[in-house]
Amino acid sequence: MRSLRSILVLAALCALACNAVAEAPAIGAAAPDFRLTTIDEKAFSLSSEAKGHKAVVLMFISTQCPYSNAYNGQMKDLASAYASRGVLFVGINSNKTEDSAAVGAHAKTNGHTFPIMKDPDNKVADLYDARRTPEVYVIDPGGKLRYHGRITEDHENPASSPDLKNALDSYLAGKPIARTETKAFGCTIKRV
Amino acid sequence: MRLSAVSSRLSARAAAFTLFGLSFVASPGTLSGDASQLVGELDAAGLRQTLAREKGRVVLLNFWATWCVPCREEFPELSKLQNKYGAVGLQLIGVSTDFAKVRPAVQKFLAEQRPSFPNYRKKSGGDDQPFIEAVDSSWGGELPFSVLYDRSGKKVRVYSGSLPLAAAEREIRKLLAPR
Repeated sequence: MRSLRSILVLAALCALACNAVAEAPAIGAAAPDFRLTTIDEKAFSLSSEAKGHKAVVLMFISTQCPYSNAYNGQMKDLASAYASRGVLFVGINSNKTEDSAAVGAHAKTNGHTFPIMKDPDNKVADLYDARRTPEVYVIDPGGKLRYHGRITEDHENPASSPDLKNALDSYLAGKPIARTETKAFGCTIKRV
Repeated sequence: MRLSAVSSRLSARAAAFTLFGLSFVASPGTLSGDASQLVGELDAAGLRQTLAREKGRVVLLNFWATWCVPCREEFPELSKLQNKYGAVGLQLIGVSTDFAKVRPAVQKFLAEQRPSFPNYRKKSGGDDQPFIEAVDSSWGGELPFSVLYDRSGKKVRVYSGSLPLAAAEREIRKLLAPR
């Protein structure tokens, strides 16, 4: 009897732990909705923003990771270039080691004017099973995931084959995205 | 040049130790100039060739970067492992994933550390994916990251994050044990 009770307790604990990190959403499936506050204190709702744009690009980023920082200029350029085409880029910092002040200072230094949010307790990273920085997700107005992975094929060279840009261009042109999933190469998201 | 040859040149002080109940003369702890510099750069094909050349030895492949604090912290421990087990068939191989533009920092780090094992830099350019696949499909650039191979070149363990030293050493001893 005691062992049965122990098993049930363990099963309950396991269920809690297993829910802590969700499975990554599949391409074409619903991207998990979330609400966060931007570093300039504005409310952000993914579902609302997705409905108001042709696509939302979620970028899990870091202030300290060299792989992520290598893309600072490209993030700024892409956000600016695609804004006129109805695409909203947003940055999410889920690293427990980087506070809001650091995230704000980093955005200012790099001229990042797109919305950037701290993800307290890495809950959004868990919802998406985001593991690395940089790692990006493209979400359509219906809230479905269209692309997941890296920004370019060579993490050291932002000018290399632009997987994210190719995905966005195909999607905006109403064409199938040739590569809907790529492997993000980056630093581990430092979770709580 | 075989990496084991590089290691064998790490001469000076030889230390005796006991393993599997037998005494061995360990690969020494004082290094030649070669191991304190990058041996070269590796792409996916180069990595496979390098590993293939080491068949017959147990290989611990370690990925690191100068900016990665846990990598820097465990680096001396890797040298100790090589010093302790190099003579009985262990070959550590380090691969820096630092960008090409910070190559001087990599050289400086190696010159300071004077590791007892050879180090390469991941070659710049091209698609990351083939390199990831050559290492392990679970890898996404996180550091440190280590992969352990047995003497036949078969991958037996992947360590994401800092190497659990005691557990890794136990695994290495098991792989090195005579059958």
